[in-house]
Amino acid sequence: MQPDLERELIRKCKAGDARFYEPLVRAYEPSGLRLATGMLGNLDDARDALQDAFVKAFEALHRFDMRRPFGPWFFQILRNHCRDMLRSRQARFKLETLDENLELRPADAEKGPERARQRSAASELLWRALEKVGFEHREILVLKELQGFRYNEIAQILDIPEGTVASRLFHARRALRDALDGMAVELP
Amino acid sequence: MPDKITHDDLMRFLDGELSPDEHARVQAAIASSTELAREAAIYRAVKSSFQGISFHPGTYHRSVWDGVNQNLTRPIGWILTIAGAAVWAAYGVWVFVVSPVEPWEKLASGAVVIGILALLASVIWERYREWLTDPYRDIQR
Repeated sequence: MQPDLERELIRKCKAGDARFYEPLVRAYEPSGLRLATGMLGNLDDARDALQDAFVKAFEALHRFDMRRPFGPWFFQILRNHCRDMLRSRQARFKLETLDENLELRPADAEKGPERARQRSAASELLWRALEKVGFEHREILVLKELQGFRYNEIAQILDIPEGTVASRLFHARRALRDALDGMAVELP
Repeated sequence: MPDKITHDDLMRFLDGELSPDEHARVQAAIASSTELAREAAIYRAVKSSFQGISFHPGTYHRSVWDGVNQNLTRPIGWILTIAGAAVWAAYGVWVFVVSPVEPWEKLASGAVVIGILALLASVIWERYREWLTDPYRDIQR
């Protein structure tokens, strides 16, 4: 979404007109769902978290700094909400419905069912490893590897100095490597 | 880990967060150190393990917008409904109180209304207590 259009929509939302919120919701929904699913482990809880986060963001728009982009600010709200959900036992990191809802890349389908099956097994192992590493490591891995955010964006979302992102990523990746090792997944 | 190349440098290198000069420096260090090359290969493999997961845009058939919109607009509807009902109820009570009917009629009608409200409140209270003691209330669908 163009920054100017985004700012105009937010300005109208701030004036109290919720109709102008719909384009923002639809624009940030796919990446928000990806983030929440990565943090919570299943689509049902992720959808609930995403919906609640959009409502919270709308109610907090009066505090939004118009000079900044909406995305990182919203993802910070969503990340905090996911963490609160996990803490308050409303949700656990559950994997039971994940595989049905995640689709493999179209290229895998072209390579045949065996390749797709291997991918599916590998992705299940990865999700199980992510479950083991805990929320603190999982969130930064999701932001970097599933969302593809730059370090400055991750710092903004996690509310940490940009200089510590690399360090946190290192510890998270090491934890993930250990978890994969523990599941007998071979790495170089 | 060879001198001057930290784990943070390695992460920034793998994530493309270094300037061209820094990138070249780390790349040269990796080329000259088996230990560093092995470490880089491990973390590159950890990174690439995520490539098996992909969210296809077509996965999301149902938008959350309807739910968001309901949450944003419903409270306004409830506030208006409750405020309007309260005004009408207050007006009705005032009209009833000042109407020129016999006092026993007012008492009887008042008793009926208060009785219905008391029954309603007791049912709500009972449901609330059941909910508080429900051992399965935290179980999600």
